[in-house]
Amino acid sequence: MGVTCVCQVPVAEGKSVQQTVDILHKKLEQLAAVKQGSFCVDCETYHATGNVSGQPTKLLYVMHNSETPLSCMALFEGGPCVIADANFDVLMVKLKSHFQNAKGHKVECRGSRYRYCDFLIKVGTVTMSSSARGISVEVEYCPCVVPGDCWNLIREFMASFLGSSVPELPSVFAAKPEGLFAPADCVDTMTQYLELFNKLRKMQIQGSNVR
Amino acid sequence: MSLLSSFLYFSITIMSGGPPVSVSIESSCEKQVQEVALDGTETYVPPLSMSQNLAKLAQRIDFSQGSESEEDGAESEPKDREWSKEPEEEEGTVKFQPSLWPWDSVRNNLRSALTEMCVLYDVLSVVKEKKYMALDPVSQDPAANKTPQVFQLISKKKSLGTAAQLLLKGAEKLSKSVAENQENRRQRDFNSELLRLRSQWKLRKVGDKILGDLSYRSAGSLFPHHGTFEVIKNTDIDLDKKIPEDYCPLDVQIPSDLEGSAYIKVSIQKQAPDIGDLGTVNLFRRPPKTKAGTQAWHVKLEAAQNVLLCKEIFAQLSREAVQIKSQIPHIVVKNQIISQPFPGLQLSISLCHSTGEKKNHKASPEKPKPDDHLYVLEHNLHQMMREFHKQQLSSVVMPHPASAPFGHKRMRLAGPQAYDKSEISSLQHNEGLLEKIIKQAKHIFLRSRTARTIDSLASRIEDPQIQAHWSNINDVYESSVKVLITSQGYEQICKSIQLQLNIGVEQIRVVHRDGRVVTLSHQEQELQDFLLSQMSQHQVHAVQQLAKVMGWHVLSFSNHVGLGPVESIGNASAVTVASPNGEYAISVRNGPESGCKVLVQFPRSQTKELPKSDVIQEAKWSHLRGPSKEVHWSKMEGRNFVYKMELLMAALTPCP
Repeated sequence: MGVTCVCQVPVAEGKSVQQTVDILHKKLEQLAAVKQGSFCVDCETYHATGNVSGQPTKLLYVMHNSETPLSCMALFEGGPCVIADANFDVLMVKLKSHFQNAKGHKVECRGSRYRYCDFLIKVGTVTMSSSARGISVEVEYCPCVVPGDCWNLIREFMASFLGSSVPELPSVFAAKPEGLFAPADCVDTMTQYLELFNKLRKMQIQGSNVR
Repeated sequence: MSLLSSFLYFSITIMSGGPPVSVSIESSCEKQVQEVALDGTETYVPPLSMSQNLAKLAQRIDFSQGSESEEDGAESEPKDREWSKEPEEEEGTVKFQPSLWPWDSVRNNLRSALTEMCVLYDVLSVVKEKKYMALDPVSQDPAANKTPQVFQLISKKKSLGTAAQLLLKGAEKLSKSVAENQENRRQRDFNSELLRLRSQWKLRKVGDKILGDLSYRSAGSLFPHHGTFEVIKNTDIDLDKKIPEDYCPLDVQIPSDLEGSAYIKVSIQKQAPDIGDLGTVNLFRRPPKTKAGTQAWHVKLEAAQNVLLCKEIFAQLSREAVQIKSQIPHIVVKNQIISQPFPGLQLSISLCHSTGEKKNHKASPEKPKPDDHLYVLEHNLHQMMREFHKQQLSSVVMPHPASAPFGHKRMRLAGPQAYDKSEISSLQHNEGLLEKIIKQAKHIFLRSRTARTIDSLASRIEDPQIQAHWSNINDVYESSVKVLITSQGYEQICKSIQLQLNIGVEQIRVVHRDGRVVTLSHQEQELQDFLLSQMSQHQVHAVQQLAKVMGWHVLSFSNHVGLGPVESIGNASAVTVASPNGEYAISVRNGPESGCKVLVQFPRSQTKELPKSDVIQEAKWSHLRGPSKEVHWSKMEGRNFVYKMELLMAALTPCP
């Protein structure tokens, strides 16, 4: 488990999502990265019922990552997070009365997984109800767990194939206390994915309004 | 009593006038016993004295009667008395009054007895003459005494019948008790045998049958064989005859496909040129002798269980051989699995099952082949199977939460700890039985071949000696050996070549004393070449070490010289040493193939022809070393290279 950075790559002009993804793949293969199968990250939204009116309904996000196939992460936005066994989904069914599944809000990110020495690169297409919304790129530097130590390296590596669309230090890492040993773990990865998904969802809604 | 204490003789005369018969009388008890003391002495009542006796007798006299009769009818009385006295006086010389004489009754009885006896004697004497009297049997009353013979028969029969019945009843009881005893004994034996059986094998009662389980299912096996055996009572024994020594009251019936005995043969052979004759491995070794104390059923059940385990192992191996993809596919034919661990080599795992005592007549006349059966691998197969069983039922798995799936305990943490794929795969066991056994076979083969290489080199080459110290503690996949190359006699000086060989599954890793690590493949030739090159390097190292000891100075040393002929194995090494006073120098070049070449450099003054030159003015320059000459090394005296070198050095060091 290393330091992960999730960022969004804008679709190239005049090209479709798939074509942009192919361009990225080609760049990675030119770097001599090795393709190692595929990955999938998905997120389901649950509304918390039974709270007093006046307060906004809390949203519970249950996410899965193929990198940790036996785990399931449940988190509130900006709030506590739980890493659980895969049976957590069954538990959510049992808690139907307290958490209602918002079926239309399921977001998925699928793509291929590349390995380049110590880096793991995942280029994926974010789809929401089978319509592609954007492209996500996740870069993981496996040997290090302290984000502050390896951020520059990750940034440099990302610049080599992403070109100009290199992100800033993710807010999850910026929020970590300075000076203390605060290792990154899968919760940070999932939080980043969640932010990305929410951003893409809002973007499309705005887009749909425009259309 | 004192009067009577003596014998009394008195005679009786009878009217018929026979001879007088004397009868002697003795009183039975002279003195009355008053008391018997504890020690047996008897205390007698003291006899009455004279005065006491007289008083006693006087008491008997009834004086009052006598005086009364004198007053009244005194005349009749004395007359009566006299009259009664007279016939008695007539009868004999009786002195005492009859009423006072205690022997009267005795005398009367005796007299009557005598009378009777005389009468009988008279009668018998008359009857004897048979003239006047004759003996006639007394005729029985016909009406009263005579019973018909039929009655007699019936009564006799009845009485005999009653007696016979009693006897029969008694005999019957006896025989019943004997039979019961024997039956009890037999039953007890069966029960005690059953108890013994139950203490070692699992039994259960189904209806009226006793069934047992000899499979490994309760130990964690997943093989679908039922492994049920039946316990039957051995009743076909004649109790009258002698019970045979190996008689057992119970017998077990094992499933028909588990009869006989089996073992798994693992062997490594050179690859067979044709695959035609596969699947016919049926050679068999003799079944092991049973121990004296074990029962027949135990031997039978153990053999059946072994057959079951061998079948399970073979089934698992063949399943894996078919499913797992490998570069060179494994061949599964009948009862054999063939795979290729190394090129040119063949590993065959076969299940040898012989049923019953039926011998295959085709196989027996064959000469038994040399046994290349790797018993270690067979044992390892059994062990790995049992380990697999244990894993199914290990304490790591049980007890476990009701909601969690079966598996390793750490796997339950995989979810909450967000293990990624590499961590999960490290927890799970991926290697199957076949892969493990192939790896073990490869290692065993590599190890034996390495040993063979080292030994052949050691026996072939004498000059630098090669020693191999094998480590006792090995792994199934790794062994190690320390190889030392030394010269005889100079072990302490020349010990610079020490190699540690780690023999793995497919490679040999050599760690040199100076830190170099070389990885050799499984090829035999590579190891041999490497060792030969090390041996040649050793010679040169030895010269270097020797020079230190002898006081010679090392001028140059190189492990891999670039001059001279190119060696096909490794590189040649060379060293140059100079004598203590600098006059002589020895140069040695040793290569694995080209052998050794020794040159000695002389001072100029020893050359036959001194080149005359105008440049050299002074004589001191003649002491410098000049030309060099080769030494005929084979003609040198000395047991080995270092010894020869020492002699040479000693020869070139003149005494001061």
